Amino acid sequence: MTLSELQARFQAGILENDGKILASIADPRKTDRTTSFAVYYDAYRIRLAEFLSNDFPMLRSYLRSDAFGRLVGDYILSAPSRQRNARWYGARLPEFMQRAARWRTKTAAIDLARFERALSNAFDAADAPIISVDALSDICVEDWPRIAFEFHPSVELLDLARGTAEVFGSLANENEPPAIQHGEEAIVFWREVGQSSYRLVAEDERLALMEARQGKKFSDICALLSFQATDQDAAPVVAGFLSQWFSDGLVTRFSLED
Amino acid sequence: MDKPSSLGFGLGLRPVYYQEILEKKPRVDWFEVISENYMTPGGRPLAILERIRADYPIVMHGVSLSLASTDPLDLGYLRALKRLADRFQPEWISDHLCWTGVHGVNLHDLLPIPYTFEALAHVVERIKRIQDFLGRRIAIENVSSYVAFAESEMNEWSFIREMAERSDCWLLLDVNNVFVSGFNHDFDEAEFIDAIPVERVVQFHLAGHTEHVTHKIDTHDQPICEKVWSLYERACRRFGRISTMIERDDNFPAFEELLAELDRARSIAAFAILTMEEVAA
Repeated sequence: MTLSELQARFQAGILENDGKILASIADPRKTDRTTSFAVYYDAYRIRLAEFLSNDFPMLRSYLRSDAFGRLVGDYILSAPSRQRNARWYGARLPEFMQRAARWRTKTAAIDLARFERALSNAFDAADAPIISVDALSDICVEDWPRIAFEFHPSVELLDLARGTAEVFGSLANENEPPAIQHGEEAIVFWREVGQSSYRLVAEDERLALMEARQGKKFSDICALLSFQATDQDAAPVVAGFLSQWFSDGLVTRFSLED
Repeated sequence: MDKPSSLGFGLGLRPVYYQEILEKKPRVDWFEVISENYMTPGGRPLAILERIRADYPIVMHGVSLSLASTDPLDLGYLRALKRLADRFQPEWISDHLCWTGVHGVNLHDLLPIPYTFEALAHVVERIKRIQDFLGRRIAIENVSSYVAFAESEMNEWSFIREMAERSDCWLLLDVNNVFVSGFNHDFDEAEFIDAIPVERVVQFHLAGHTEHVTHKIDTHDQPICEKVWSLYERACRRFGRISTMIERDDNFPAFEELLAELDRARSIAAFAILTMEEVAA
């Protein structure tokens, strides 16, 4: 048997419990071939389950051990890892839950998984220097409409089931989580001093942040918000958001656009 | 052969000990880092490694090279490994004599190979290509294994010796893995140690394992057992001053316990080398 054939059989033995590889295993001294090979078969499942438990600790608490174990089993069966780095093995778990018949109706669990995945993504995102709001002090008033911003690679904005952040917070504090509510909430995730952070954002700020992340100018963002709420001047509102974004450490650069 | 001189006695750099290391700068000669843990776009682990690297030599140890896989070499992985090495300037780079998957799959395990002439030629050719790509020799580690193959045409230590000579690579001798595999496959651990070419070994690994009735598993979650210490003493007498490190990956003890184990390694090595030098004199 060639090395290639042997490796294919070994892998099939682990993934599919295919027994053909047993013919290639030398008789062990103290046990039998099946028991020896089971060390690899079991280790594969235990290791992947550990990766998922580490990446989704609150989802594990929320579902409790039995249901989380079923989820992990379903996910492992759905497709083997193709990641060199174990850190990314769980990246597809939220999408898997959205598709899988057993999980796709469990909105709270799915959005908790998306929440935890966003925290992991923020943790590992690329580095970039952030700038202070003081950097804007040299911009003259007439240029303000032309300012556009670039955001830290860790910044991610998600619309999740209303109450997801509270569910996460309760579980993190080892309290009983509340039920999620109808509707959605917007949450911004980013990395701050090496640690993942998040906060809820209201609808106006969500819109402004979405526009700003697309590179829209200050004046465009103000125009959008004015359109949404015609009874107030949007510029001070957007300036307030900007101040918060700088303070959070979301902004890495700004430029003056034509 | 320009074999690197000993770095002394090191530990595996693990996140659970980051704060302790940064705050106390403990008496550890060097750290071994798991390469994949730092193959991220950015973030805290890389920032911390920058700080620790400023104070300690490091060695990069990989778990995903999949050296013996019959899949093509993953150039994306090798490029990332080279970028990381360029940034952190490790004393050397190591990985395992194993494969981790085929057909694009990663089973996230250090899987055993049959010790055949075909596998030997395959592994040697890949080590040469990897060394050419990285522009440096790499160190290859013997793994713990739980099955042996009927197809094998030589024993593990003969395979390793041939592999090292033909590919001109370094060796990382994991003493615990020799012990675990020796128990599981009923070979004489001393025969293994004595067959490994002295001039190729640049590093020792020490670790604990889990005992089962019929087999032992390399879990890195226990203190080093007495029999592994004895084997380490034998290795020190054979190989002399070799960079030694302790791997701990679970059931983490207080950092002081690892330092105490490291002190024991220092004592054993010092005594063994003194004995060796007296015999030589």
